[in-house]
Amino acid sequence: MARDDTFPRRTYLKGAGASGTVALTGLAGCTLGGGGDGDGGDGDGGGGGDTGTGGSTDSGEDTTPLTIAGTVPETGSFSSLGQDLKRGYELGVERMNETLDREVELILRDDESDAQTLREQLQAIVSNNDVNMIWGSFSSLLVTAGSAFAENQGLPFLGIAFAYEGPHRNSNYEWTFAPFPKSRDVARSTLGTIELVPEEDRPTNIGIWEPNSGWGKEQADYWEETLGDAGYEIVMRETFEIGASDFSTLISQAQSANVEVLLSNPTPGGGITAVNQMKSNNWAPKMLKFVRGADPSAWWSALGQDGAYALMCPGWVPGLTGNGNQQLRETYMSTYETESQYMPANVGGSYNLTQVAEQAVAAAGSVEPEAIREALRNEEFQTVIGTFGFEDNGLPTEGQLTAPTGQWWEGAQRLAYPNTDSERALDFKYPIPPWSER
Amino acid sequence: MVASDLLTQSVVNGLLLGGIYALAALGLSLVFGIMDIVNLAHGHMLMVGAYVAILVFTATGITPLVGMLLAMALMFGLGVLLQKVLLKHVVDEGLEQPIIVLFGLALVLQNLGRVILGGDARTADIGIPGNGFDIGIAFMSFPRTVTFVVAVLLIVATWAFLQYTKTGQAIRATAQNRTAAKYMGIDTDQIYVITLGIGTALAGAAGALLSMLFPIDPYVGWSYLLKTFAVVVLGGVGSVVGTLVGGLVLGVSENLGALYLGGGYRNVVSLLIFLGVLLVKPEGLFGSSGGGE
Repeated sequence: MARDDTFPRRTYLKGAGASGTVALTGLAGCTLGGGGDGDGGDGDGGGGGDTGTGGSTDSGEDTTPLTIAGTVPETGSFSSLGQDLKRGYELGVERMNETLDREVELILRDDESDAQTLREQLQAIVSNNDVNMIWGSFSSLLVTAGSAFAENQGLPFLGIAFAYEGPHRNSNYEWTFAPFPKSRDVARSTLGTIELVPEEDRPTNIGIWEPNSGWGKEQADYWEETLGDAGYEIVMRETFEIGASDFSTLISQAQSANVEVLLSNPTPGGGITAVNQMKSNNWAPKMLKFVRGADPSAWWSALGQDGAYALMCPGWVPGLTGNGNQQLRETYMSTYETESQYMPANVGGSYNLTQVAEQAVAAAGSVEPEAIREALRNEEFQTVIGTFGFEDNGLPTEGQLTAPTGQWWEGAQRLAYPNTDSERALDFKYPIPPWSER
Repeated sequence: MVASDLLTQSVVNGLLLGGIYALAALGLSLVFGIMDIVNLAHGHMLMVGAYVAILVFTATGITPLVGMLLAMALMFGLGVLLQKVLLKHVVDEGLEQPIIVLFGLALVLQNLGRVILGGDARTADIGIPGNGFDIGIAFMSFPRTVTFVVAVLLIVATWAFLQYTKTGQAIRATAQNRTAAKYMGIDTDQIYVITLGIGTALAGAAGALLSMLFPIDPYVGWSYLLKTFAVVVLGGVGSVVGTLVGGLVLGVSENLGALYLGGGYRNVVSLLIFLGVLLVKPEGLFGSSGGGE
């Protein structure tokens, strides 16, 4: 896809010439789950040949400032996630300014959890600044809106909280990259979590509540295929409308079908409402996984102990180790006053995105969109969620990412799967006791 | 094939929810039947009532059942103010002008809610101890049972007020023939004020009850307006009994639609019934051309 030429002044700020060879700097060692060293691999230099008035050092190294546009949902239906995403971005930009040989500026706006507002905000930022890269918001709804804008502008786009694979496969993405576990990874992680239960106690009956959306169907298909192939019985698969507030019929159906493991990907509000209604209907599954629904801190604020045991796949969970996790934790704790020793999950997710951005720009040796894109396509990235590269369509390379599964316990999201030796991980709590015993 | 216990449970859940739908629709029905006004802001009035109960509960921990009384009082005042300041200028000016005014009011309430309280959905706990119970054929959720009982009590109280009080009789007389009522010495302007006050208070009460079951955000007004409008058309304009039956039918049909066809069809089924009634019996199941009870 050709880059939109309606913003010609960008061409005056192309990076200075020498961008051929790149020295990668400051990439953390260690791998997910501990052990191993890595320096992020060798950069190939990417977009050489730039000329113009951009900054450069005496040695000819390109020091053109990196300008990033982004939005987070600070208000609206996803507002409970906005602050966490923003903090991860801020910590990441702070780190990028220390490690990259160029100034990094992030221009971040509130998208009000609305795709149209998101487009307007990005348009306003891009129109008034020489933007080199765009960072996404939260959820498939908003991330795909940002992605579409970036594709149109010909700017590299990084998006998290975006498990939906369909757009990658169907939208001919050229500029979009998702450093985030995808639906297939979530399904595999679900299987892995179930198999943490000793075989004699392991549940067999799976229920799937499918939101009537593209991602809802995709995730439900993956769950049905992955768990069905592994010998589990899908005793219920029913759809519901996104935004629905009455889950009583689904609860009755789940109870009637003797569902033991309930899987869904509702909105945060929908997930909270569903658990409230499970309680008032005196029914609970033995295992509950609400992808995205149980992601935000609002889950515990709204549900308290009623929200315990719930599993989620927010991309990053306290308990992961290596690849900068220690640095992230220390920086977060020293920057933000918090009583909890557990960071909110989405801080890690967005911080992981900044690590990808940093490593891509370092590998590219330029802020040129094409050079950054080439680096994104060709490099391997080491971030707090793991080590992975990207396929051409922007999906993380198949099989390289394990979707970390967190579990709500005593007010915090803690890593339940995969196992690590971190004290912030926990032993998977199973089964969920009946309401009368909680 | 759906198991019979599942079917029974869905019907019971629908009936319990339908009681609140009926209460929510009763205010709309009264205003429509007596003042000939389609209150497009009715759903948003419900939203305001819900927020009052939620805020009281959040700030004090007092059950929304108490917050409901406060919501009713506040909303009655809002209705009175609305009639005295705004609607009295347009109430006899045909159908369009009140609709435009009330549509504008709905947008104002929605945006005020968004600006003042934010776009996040909020909900309240029922705030009183109690557990659900099994009646043999189905499980009765505690919050749903309590809200259903309160809703039905309010509907019965409204019916009794209209039936047995002088003001109620004056309201019914005004609904039947405003000119004749005037000749009989009834202050019909004041009756309009009281009617809108009652209608708005009932919306507030329904909102407070719904806040114990479902999340509320500033945008819920439109969907509840649609539901209440369907109930009014089903039951017949101005009919208290019809509104109760319409609410129950809507609640049950929503649940059965979701059970047999999937959650995406919850609203489709109920609105198809609504269209069917319009085609076959446009005055509603209990309506009469004369209006009123």
